[in-house]
Amino acid sequence: MKKFLSNFRFKKLVESKIFFPLIALAIILLFDLIVIPGFFKLEMKQGHLYGSFIDVLRNSVPIMILAIGMTLVIATGGIDISVGATMAIASSVACILINPTIIGLKLSQDISSLVGNSTYSFTPLWLVILVPLIVASLCGLWNGVLVTYGKIQPMVATLILMIAGRGIAQLITNAIKIIIFNDTYAYIGNGWIILPFSLYIAAFIFAIAWLITRKTSIGLFIEAVGANSRSSFFAGINAKRVKLFTYVFCGFCAGVAALVVSSSIRTSDANQIGLYMELDAILAVIFGGTSMDGGRFSLLASMIGALVIQATSTSTLALGVPASAIIAVKALVVVIVIILYSQQVQGFLRKIFGTNKQKEVKE
Amino acid sequence: MSESTKSIIVMKDIVKSFPGVHALQGVDFSLNKGEIHALVGENGAGKSTLVKVLTGVEHPDSGTISLDGVEVSIKSPLHAQSLGINPVYQEVNLCPNLTISENILIGRQPMKWGRIDWNTMNAQAKKAMLGLDIDIDVTKVLGSCSVAIQQMTAIARALVISSAKVLILDEPTSSLTQHETAQLFGVMRKLKNEGMGIIFITHFLDQVYDISDQITVLRNGKLVGTYKTASLPKLELITKMIGRTITEFDDMTKLKSDSGHMIKSEPLIELEGIGHSGSIEPFDLQLHSGEVVGLAGLLGSGRTEIAELLFGITKPDSGTMTMDGKVVKNFTPIDSIERAIALCPEDRKKEGIVADLTIRENIILAMQASLGWFKYLRLQEQYTIADKYIKLLNISTPSPDQLVKNLSGGNQQKVILARWLATNPRLLILDEPTRGIDIGAKAEIQKLVLSLAEEGMSCVFISSELEEVLRTSHRIVILRDHKKVTELSGDVTEQQIMKSIAGSE
Amino acid sequence: MMTRFGLAISKNRKFLPLAATIFLFIIAYSFGAFSYAGMRDPQAFFTLFIITPFLLISAIGETFVVFTGGIDLSVSGVVALTATASAALLQAGVNPWIVFGLMLIMGMTLGAVMGTFIAYLKVHPWIATIAGMWFARGMCYIISDSEIRIYDPLYKLLAGTKILIPGLADVVTKKGAYITPLVVLSMTIFIIALFVAHFTKFGRTIYAIGGNGGANEQSARLMGLPVDRTKILVYTVNGLCSALAGIAYSIYVGSGHGSHATGFEMTVIAAVVIGGTMLTGGEGYMFGTLFGVLTTALIQMIIQFNGKLSSWWTSIAIGVLTLAFIGIQSLLVNINAKKISPTKLTDSDAAARKKKTALYGGIAAVVIIASSLIFYFVDKNAKNTAAANPTPTVTNCQLKPFRNDLAKQFIADGAVITYERNGGMDCIDELSALYPDGRIVSDNGTEKKEKTVTPDQINKVLTDINNMEWFTDNMYSTYHKPCDQCFHYNTTVVYQGKSKTVEAVDGGTDAPSEYWIMSGEITQLVPVFSK
Repeated sequence: MKKFLSNFRFKKLVESKIFFPLIALAIILLFDLIVIPGFFKLEMKQGHLYGSFIDVLRNSVPIMILAIGMTLVIATGGIDISVGATMAIASSVACILINPTIIGLKLSQDISSLVGNSTYSFTPLWLVILVPLIVASLCGLWNGVLVTYGKIQPMVATLILMIAGRGIAQLITNAIKIIIFNDTYAYIGNGWIILPFSLYIAAFIFAIAWLITRKTSIGLFIEAVGANSRSSFFAGINAKRVKLFTYVFCGFCAGVAALVVSSSIRTSDANQIGLYMELDAILAVIFGGTSMDGGRFSLLASMIGALVIQATSTSTLALGVPASAIIAVKALVVVIVIILYSQQVQGFLRKIFGTNKQKEVKE
Repeated sequence: MSESTKSIIVMKDIVKSFPGVHALQGVDFSLNKGEIHALVGENGAGKSTLVKVLTGVEHPDSGTISLDGVEVSIKSPLHAQSLGINPVYQEVNLCPNLTISENILIGRQPMKWGRIDWNTMNAQAKKAMLGLDIDIDVTKVLGSCSVAIQQMTAIARALVISSAKVLILDEPTSSLTQHETAQLFGVMRKLKNEGMGIIFITHFLDQVYDISDQITVLRNGKLVGTYKTASLPKLELITKMIGRTITEFDDMTKLKSDSGHMIKSEPLIELEGIGHSGSIEPFDLQLHSGEVVGLAGLLGSGRTEIAELLFGITKPDSGTMTMDGKVVKNFTPIDSIERAIALCPEDRKKEGIVADLTIRENIILAMQASLGWFKYLRLQEQYTIADKYIKLLNISTPSPDQLVKNLSGGNQQKVILARWLATNPRLLILDEPTRGIDIGAKAEIQKLVLSLAEEGMSCVFISSELEEVLRTSHRIVILRDHKKVTELSGDVTEQQIMKSIAGSE
Repeated sequence: MMTRFGLAISKNRKFLPLAATIFLFIIAYSFGAFSYAGMRDPQAFFTLFIITPFLLISAIGETFVVFTGGIDLSVSGVVALTATASAALLQAGVNPWIVFGLMLIMGMTLGAVMGTFIAYLKVHPWIATIAGMWFARGMCYIISDSEIRIYDPLYKLLAGTKILIPGLADVVTKKGAYITPLVVLSMTIFIIALFVAHFTKFGRTIYAIGGNGGANEQSARLMGLPVDRTKILVYTVNGLCSALAGIAYSIYVGSGHGSHATGFEMTVIAAVVIGGTMLTGGEGYMFGTLFGVLTTALIQMIIQFNGKLSSWWTSIAIGVLTLAFIGIQSLLVNINAKKISPTKLTDSDAAARKKKTALYGGIAAVVIIASSLIFYFVDKNAKNTAAANPTPTVTNCQLKPFRNDLAKQFIADGAVITYERNGGMDCIDELSALYPDGRIVSDNGTEKKEKTVTPDQINKVLTDINNMEWFTDNMYSTYHKPCDQCFHYNTTVVYQGKSKTVEAVDGGTDAPSEYWIMSGEITQLVPVFSK
């Protein structure tokens, strides 16, 4: 047992993966605290907790969910740039299921009038939730097959869906933005149980991912495959199956994110939903310290990374920078992160903070 | 002519160490003008490190290098090239997507009126290749040419763009046909006659005798000696490369004869006519529980290939493998693990350790792979297993959470061994398990192998160190040139083995 | 016979991807010409060049980057930034030639910065260029939140001039086949690129760096080539091309805004890939990129001529094509990898060749069959749902594609109604945008008109449209083939947060009657172009 405790302490140091993103988040929040009055003010209204900080949390949910799936894919040494397009497809499917009149289905008179009703949905709601998730997972499966069996480079393979995906999404909705009147569905993105409901969804997805990767051997295999694919092969690990799983899960996460986003804006916009979100997700993962080459990953660190990105956006907004210019700020943040994570700076930091890193063990 | 005007390169007392590995321990080497000098030694002998030092990839910890009598410090590969030292590796360092002519002249293309003059360039390239007695269409894409032509292109480039004094050929003949090898040798002789010094690294001893003037033998980082080829018989050469040295292991012979009792008569595994085209010719082999079978032979004789066939890394093209009387159908690593076969691979870095993971994770990896995704070993159990093997194999580390990449080579090897022992194999295949490990640890591992055999495990022990093979094996299989030559058992002497390896000369 | 065929192919193996691209282009073009009268007009071919000058210029720069095994995703941002910054500078009265120069310098600087990050800090090109793209787009919005129109006479001149092609046009009546100055620009850049790629050391070094899974870069370094310097240069060159493309774009579109060219980088990359260049680098031809660009434009043209498939089929089609080409590339790599591995002494040269020929044939067949099937089924579907129109379909007017990009910008700028109609006896193409403050802007391709009415009038039209159930499924698009002298309509209405686009063709009985009432109301308001 003593061994276990000393290992635990050791693990904390090793898990310094969340160390850096946490520091970054702290810096940004500190900055907010100083510069923006009332940033952390929380008030309770009608049983709901409100405040700028809550806004940050809420807005970062889609990216957090995407980042969870993306972390696993990147950990195997791959990447998925089609999640935004997958989101578009999934949200189109969800909205069509609720409100299919748009595609020219000749409905009886009384049903057509029901569509605007806030409790009505053409398909039972549990299907409205389930089917998009299945479709999104299938998109992930498509990507996974191209990468593992087609042996196509992940960036190139997922590029296909990224290009064609939005077209497919528009195909589903006939290029019309469908408006959702159903309140229950909208609850996903808009509901509150003290905290925004979507936050609980993010926590739930995180819990699922954590269970899968840490309570089964899948997490270990992902890290092994990413760190050294050939040695993993010699050790008997089926790398193809592991990678396939990560892509399917990533697609699944995109599906969940799609439900959250489309329900919060109450519409399905094939052009805008998820636009450039894959970039945010990838950035969040890199922030979280997972290397683009694969290997060790930390889901928590990626989520914090997502928070950092969102906090940057929100803080910049609060400073008065026009909303659309925020991506310029994001770019600068990327640059800073890149410089900080680059080999040159890492080597420099290691020399200064030598005690934190493990020393070589000579025989 | 005095020594100094004849020699191009003089390396004195070169020492180079990496973490935990003494790659070169005071090696002397010199190369003369107009000489083909063979550099031989088994893996881990230090050949590649010596070449890396000479070509500027690595810097020696101490020692001097002189070029044409002048002491130099070779800073980088480009610097080495500018000094006239040109390596040609097995994986040719050229661009296969460009044409032969471009590969020879890129960076120095002839220009006319501000644009590349392709016609002149192609003509120059053609001339360069003709200088090597190769008549070929130089506008062919390099990637579509045979390895032989690619090597020739590399040589041509070396000659054209720098006043090449030294040419280093690292295992150039491994992928060449007999005819291509003869062609290469013709070129080498021509260059030699023009005054170039050529270092020829190879494990094909016949070729060494065919072409070289002098031979330098390295072993375990030390220089064994430099000899004139004509005055060194092959058997003596082999002895110098892998023969017996004075050790403290003689008590092991008793251990071996004791353990010989446990050998079962029924074969655990039977290989009949198993072969893989291009790597090993069909052979028969029987493996018994409680027996250690050693595979002896020079590098490239097919030892690793047999190991990979047994473990399912490669599928056999012919023959059948039976285990426990049943024919084996699936040849993949995971199937082998499920059959309780384990392979400790030769290339520790690329096929063994997962450097970024911890010791614990590396040790339980194969075991976990055989359990699948959902039967995850509880953390406590993982630590128990890790601790058990850390103790058993005497792995030197403060904790099982150390990253494997921070361990010395010897300890890394032990981690891999632990991984496979943890799977409780019935057949354990060890490919060069003691390479890069110090004497003490070597002895530990050899004793361990014998005690495992005593407990009923079947072992295949592959090593370039003949003494090791002799010490630990109950039966020895001799391989030569991708063929199984013979089996020896009982009281085998080194002489017998080396004679078999050398073949009829 | 098969072996000789196989041998011939393997001898010129390096040209196979290029041949495949050109082959595809010819087949697609023949298909188009066969199906649509409009495409048989030689002008259709030149139109391919006219609508893609910026795509071509950008694809050329991107091709160089891809040759080195890298990628540049910042192009769309730089294009938008160039357009916006130019517009702003022109608005401030700066001389357009100075503007050109400044933009090119800006593009090169951004490219050089990204290149330095990639070469020296070893940043993954994807990350570095995405950051560049965000930065550029962000800068657009800092410059201006709303769209800036360009009224500079030089720009207008460059946009509006038609260069008649001798032999295919009648100089007297000024009718016939033509190209535009932007086409001359893009083709000039193309020829320069051909020269650089084949005749300069820089170009050859670019090829040497890429490919072979990154091993070539290592080899190139060992061969003494200036790898890092070349990498920085190649991104700088692409920055230059992006800026140039941005200038062409701003001339073509006539305005600048941060939302311009969204998704452009994907089209550029798709064009490069379809052109036969491998994303792993080291291989490919600039010529292929030209055909990749033309093919992309061709697909768009065919889909618009078809009229039944909505424009998003273009992105699906391009995605499928990209997939096919990537598939071929990837399989090629796998086959070659097995062949060259030095430790395996397999004698499968002839077998590999045969495999490759079979593969090419197979994939080409699959793509052709798949596309034909898609067209067939959608065609059949459209016939079933739309009311059959027995009027003969020979038109003497080639229907031009709707200018959706322009319409989108108007909406982004605040227009509440965009109304486009083309066709008719005189083959017009008029796009009008109605703003809530009463302003109406019309553009018929060569001329622009502005008119002001009262906000109340605009409001009345909007409420009428809404009352006519525009936003319900009683108002739907129809797509049957237009008759002679018929008009083709495309209308987008934005009202109370809802947005909907409806297409219609007159001369039929299937469009809802309310559509014509609404159309009439709008026609009364918009300015009239003289015939």
